[in-house]
Amino acid sequence: MKIKHSVLMLLCLLLSVGHGFAADTNAIIKRVEDNLNGKTAFMKFTMMVKTKRSERTMKMDSYSIGKEKSFIKITYPKKDKGITFLKIDNSMWQYVPRIEKTIKIPASMMLQNWMGSDFTNDDLVRESSISDDYEQRVVGENETEYEIELRPQEDAPVVWGRIIMAVSKKYFLPTVVKYFDEDDVLMRILSYQDVKKFGQRFYPTHWVMDPKTFDKAGHRTTVNINEAVFDEEIDGAYFTKRALKRFSK
Amino acid sequence: MFLKIAIKNIVAYKRRSIVTVALTCFTTALLVFASAFWDGSHNKMIESAVEIYPGYLQITQKDFRKIPSYDNLIFDARSVRNALTKISGIDTFGERFESFVLFSSREKAVGGMFTGIEPEKEERLSRLKKSLKKGEYLSPGDHAKLYIGTELAKRLKVDVGDVLSFVGTGADYSFAADNVTVKGIFQTGLFDFDASAAFVSKSYFDYIMAAQNYATHFIVLPEKPQDVEDLAATISRKLGSEYQALSWQKTMAGLVQAMKVDSIFGYITLSIIFIVIFFVIMIYTLLAVFARVREIGILRAVGTTPSQILRLLVLESVLLGLVSVVAGGLIGGALAYYFQLHPIVFPGYEEQFKQYGLAASAMPAIFSLSTIVRDMIVMFVLTVLSTLYPILKVNGYRPIEAIRHV
Repeated sequence: MKIKHSVLMLLCLLLSVGHGFAADTNAIIKRVEDNLNGKTAFMKFTMMVKTKRSERTMKMDSYSIGKEKSFIKITYPKKDKGITFLKIDNSMWQYVPRIEKTIKIPASMMLQNWMGSDFTNDDLVRESSISDDYEQRVVGENETEYEIELRPQEDAPVVWGRIIMAVSKKYFLPTVVKYFDEDDVLMRILSYQDVKKFGQRFYPTHWVMDPKTFDKAGHRTTVNINEAVFDEEIDGAYFTKRALKRFSK
Repeated sequence: MFLKIAIKNIVAYKRRSIVTVALTCFTTALLVFASAFWDGSHNKMIESAVEIYPGYLQITQKDFRKIPSYDNLIFDARSVRNALTKISGIDTFGERFESFVLFSSREKAVGGMFTGIEPEKEERLSRLKKSLKKGEYLSPGDHAKLYIGTELAKRLKVDVGDVLSFVGTGADYSFAADNVTVKGIFQTGLFDFDASAAFVSKSYFDYIMAAQNYATHFIVLPEKPQDVEDLAATISRKLGSEYQALSWQKTMAGLVQAMKVDSIFGYITLSIIFIVIFFVIMIYTLLAVFARVREIGILRAVGTTPSQILRLLVLESVLLGLVSVVAGGLIGGALAYYFQLHPIVFPGYEEQFKQYGLAASAMPAIFSLSTIVRDMIVMFVLTVLSTLYPILKVNGYRPIEAIRHV
C-alpha cells in the first residue's frame, strides 16, 4: 500500500516536472488553489497572535466548500466562544453571541484586521480569488519551486500591487508568499510550512504571517492546523445566514 | 507762527484738504477694520477648530503621533495624571481612548470612532457637551450609554433610546463587542466629525475594551491659552522622553498655516489698494502744490528760506494726515468694536466653511488697540511720505522761476 502510493507520488512528480517548462502558469495556480481549498474542508486550527506586548491564542473550527463558501466558529478563549463568521463569495457576516446580532461586514471594514490578528477581513474573503483577480507569470524556477508573480487585473478590486508566490513543485502548495503595495514596498510575508497528509491530500499545517510595515513591528500571527478532513460531505446548512446563530452554541 | 499759516493754508485750499482727508481717512478705516476682521475671524476659526474636540494641548506616547497603534498607547495613565496635577498653569486635563470600531444597528453597519472620555472633564476640555442636540450628555458612571454624532446616527438610523452594537478590538487586541443605548446626539457642525464619532464614559470603555489605566492621549486646557506653547514645553520636560506634549500650533499645523496664507493674501490685496491711494494722494498734493508755485515764489522773494517753506508744507501735510488718520482710526475702531460685539454672519457660506472643517459661520472682528494704533501709524507715515515728493520738487524752483510759473 505504502509502496504503491510512493510510486504514484513519483509518477505525479515526474509528470509535473516534465510539464515544468511548458506548464501553463494558470494551471499551476489553479492546482494550488484546489490544493488549498479542496472540494470541501473541515479544519480545527489554533491561531496565535503575538504583538509587542502580548500573546493570545484562539482556537476555531472551519467548514468550507471550495473557495466560495466558508464558515468559522471560535471555540476558545471562553470570552470569544461562539463568535461565528460566514463567507459567501465576496460577502462576510459575523455573529456575536454577546450582542446577539448578525452583522454584515461592510466594504469599508474589509481591511481591518480579523480578530486582532495580522490577517484582514479581506484575506478571509478574497485570499482565494487569485486565479480570477491576478495575472500570473512564472518569473523563476529552481529544482523545488516555481516563483510566480501575480499582478492585479486592470479593474480587479484588490489591495495588493504585486504578489510573489513561491510554489512547491512537490505538493503544488505555496511555501512563501510576499505581498507588495502599489509602490512595490514589501508589506508582509506569509509562509506555509510543515506539509502533512490528511486522507489523500497534502496540506501545510503551520502558517506564519509576518507583517513588514513599521506600525506592526514585533507582530506575528501563527496558524496551526490541528485537524483537517477534506472532501467529505459538509452539511449545506452551515452556509446560510441562519447558521451563524444556530451553530454558535 | 508756522502752525497758524499752515492751518490757514489748509482752510484756504479746501478741495485739496477734503480730498486728502477723505481718502486717507477711508483707507485708514479700511485697514484698521480689515486687520481687526482678519485677526478676529482667524482667532475664531482656530478657537472653534481647537475647542470643538482636539484641545489646546495633547499628550501622547512619544511614537503615537507617527504610528497611532495599540502598541503606542499611554500604558500608565495614572502616573501621567499624578504628574499633571503637580504642574501649575493647567486649568483642567482629561484622558481619552480613541478606537475604531464597526457600529451596527438593525438597519446598517458603519465604521466609526469609538472613544472613551471623562464626561465631567470633557465639559471644560471640548465643546462636546455644548453640542448636545437631542437627549442627554454622558455622565461619569454611565454604563453602555452612547453619545453619538448626528450624521452617524442618521447613517445608522438610530435615535435617542435606541440600542445599537459595536464590534471592535480591545486594547489587548482581543475581540470586543457590546450593545449600547443612545443617550444623546450631538452636532458640532464639523461634518466629518459628526459622521464618524461616538463617545462613551471612560469607565465603561475601560471595562469593555480592556483598557484599564490606558489612554491614547490626554487633553490639557491651559489656564492661559496664549501660553500654551510654554506649558507644552514644561509638561514635556516633567513627563520625560517617554511622552510627547504638543500644543495646538503643532497638532493643527495645517490650519495655522492656512490662516497665515489667508492673512498674507489679505494684506497683498490691501497693499494694492494702498499703492493706488498713495499715488492718488501724491498726485493731488502735486496739483495742489503746483497751483501754489507762484505763492511760494513770492514767499521766497520776500526772504522766506527754502527750509522754512519745507517746514510749512510738511506741517500742512502732517496736520492733514493726523486729522484723517485719527478720524479713520476712530471709524475703523468703531466698526471693529461693533463687529466684535455683533459678529458678521455668513449664512450662505456654512457649507463651504464646513469643508474647511470650520463649524462657525459667524465671524467676529477683534478690537485690539495696539493693532489699531499700528495701522494708524503706518497710514500716517504713508500719507506724509506721499506728499514729500511734490513738496521737494516745488521747493527746488528758484524764486524768479516760481513767480513766473504758470
